[in-house]
Amino acid sequence: MSPARYSTQRLVLTAVVWLPPLVFILLPLLLFLAQSFLRVQGTEVVYEPTLANYVRFFTDPAFLPTFWLSVVLAMEVAAMAVIFAYPIAYFLASLDSRVKYAMALAFVVPLLMSYIIKIYAIRSLIGGNGFVNRILLSLGVIDTPITLFSLNRNAVLLTLTLLLIPYAILPIFVALEKIPRSLLEASADLGASAWQTFRGVVLPLTLQGIVIGASFTFVLALGDFVTPQMVGGIEGFTFGRIIYSQFGFGNNWPFGAALSVILLAVVLVAIIIADRIGRSRFAT
Amino acid sequence: MMRATGLVRLALWSIAGPVLVLLYGPLAVAIFFSFFKFRSNQVQWDSFSFDAYEKLTQNENVVGALGNTLLVGVSAVAAALVFGTLLAFYYHGSQGRARTWLQLIIYLPFVMPPILTGLALLIFFRQIDFPRSLVTVVIGHTVFVLALVYRNILARLQTLSRSLVEASLDLGASRWQTFRYVLLPNLATAVLASAVLAFALSFDETLITLLVTGTSNTLPLWLWSLMRLGFTPDINALVTLILIGTTGICLFAVRYLTVPQAR
Repeated sequence: MSPARYSTQRLVLTAVVWLPPLVFILLPLLLFLAQSFLRVQGTEVVYEPTLANYVRFFTDPAFLPTFWLSVVLAMEVAAMAVIFAYPIAYFLASLDSRVKYAMALAFVVPLLMSYIIKIYAIRSLIGGNGFVNRILLSLGVIDTPITLFSLNRNAVLLTLTLLLIPYAILPIFVALEKIPRSLLEASADLGASAWQTFRGVVLPLTLQGIVIGASFTFVLALGDFVTPQMVGGIEGFTFGRIIYSQFGFGNNWPFGAALSVILLAVVLVAIIIADRIGRSRFAT
Repeated sequence: MMRATGLVRLALWSIAGPVLVLLYGPLAVAIFFSFFKFRSNQVQWDSFSFDAYEKLTQNENVVGALGNTLLVGVSAVAAALVFGTLLAFYYHGSQGRARTWLQLIIYLPFVMPPILTGLALLIFFRQIDFPRSLVTVVIGHTVFVLALVYRNILARLQTLSRSLVEASLDLGASRWQTFRYVLLPNLATAVLASAVLAFALSFDETLITLLVTGTSNTLPLWLWSLMRLGFTPDINALVTLILIGTTGICLFAVRYLTVPQAR
């Protein structure tokens, strides 16, 4: 094959691989960013740059409190997910290698099961009119339905944690699996107690896994707008739902785009913080 | 490898066990109530029947939504496989910063919250006056699963020895023959595994789909619109069927993921 033909081929390949990502990923994101600096008048988008959307977000009392509540909720989800995921990942890592991967699979398979179905199934169990309440009522255990998890913030927290916990289990499990056995033996030989080995060796070596799990669950919880709507009722009016409503009833796309850019900024900050912690001197 | 003994082991079980129950319990309840009826706060144990399933086959909406979902899944996976493979080869065969930037762009839809990917595409389609339809859903799904397919194929490609390709070329095979008879067979399991996983993701995708779809429903969207109404045996039957389907897909994928090379 002649060099000229080879380089033409290379050029074609380069164009073919670059074009789709540029057109269908980067360009939409840039348009999206641009849209956030426009405004609507009536139902028409006015094409002149303005910061009005961002000013509105920071000054209108309707948005900032909801935004902070949503960020706190997503943080709680991330914290809950990691707190429960760590012992589970440790449990998995401590199992015999014959059953270890089968058990690990059992905790990860729900990720591939329909998201909508899981929300629906959880809702049908825990709601005020859910099966748990109805059965407890018919057994005479309680007189009035338990409303702790019916259409409120607790329900959103519980559901999101359950939906996202596999994302936290997986990276922690992988981090635990990577620890060489010799390190633990060395620690024990040098007289460290089990707790000291855990605190001084295992925990620092799994910090990166924890951080990956926490940031993943945080990002997904913050952007979700279906779960809060399905299980949250009025208390579940989160930032994701406000964004979504701008593209529906609100019909203010530029403002919706600006709110999404703010969401993106929070996500980026979360990823950067996670990256910093993951690389700090406490981790390896 | 960790070891856990005595009390620690018990404590770990007491967390892992309940979480496992919470992960699967709700699904089990839904499956249960696709066969049994629940009346006046009591499970009617004598009401076992397949009625809900029969009603489901007569529902044209379900059949249509299922058809759309399969069509979207197959198209998106096919597109993602073609571009994912090309991208993996491009990344593997080039140097410099450009390829890192390209990789970053591909990863974006996978790491961003789905609402952002969906909204960006929604705005893009409106700006270029492209009507929303199943085509836009396919584009959305392709963009979403591309990173996964690309990553899997690249990882496999990087484990292959360069000498394989060199030997093939030395023996007089053309570049196409080398790709077809040397590289592709070695990549086959990685391609298959990522195709199955990508299909499972597409099958379930809700948030992006909700934003970029026109009037056609996919299964998750149709379920979502139904569920706002309540908890009925039909939905439970559909849920059961979908769970059987996705679990089957998973087991298939695991077989091909855990048996690295079936020669």
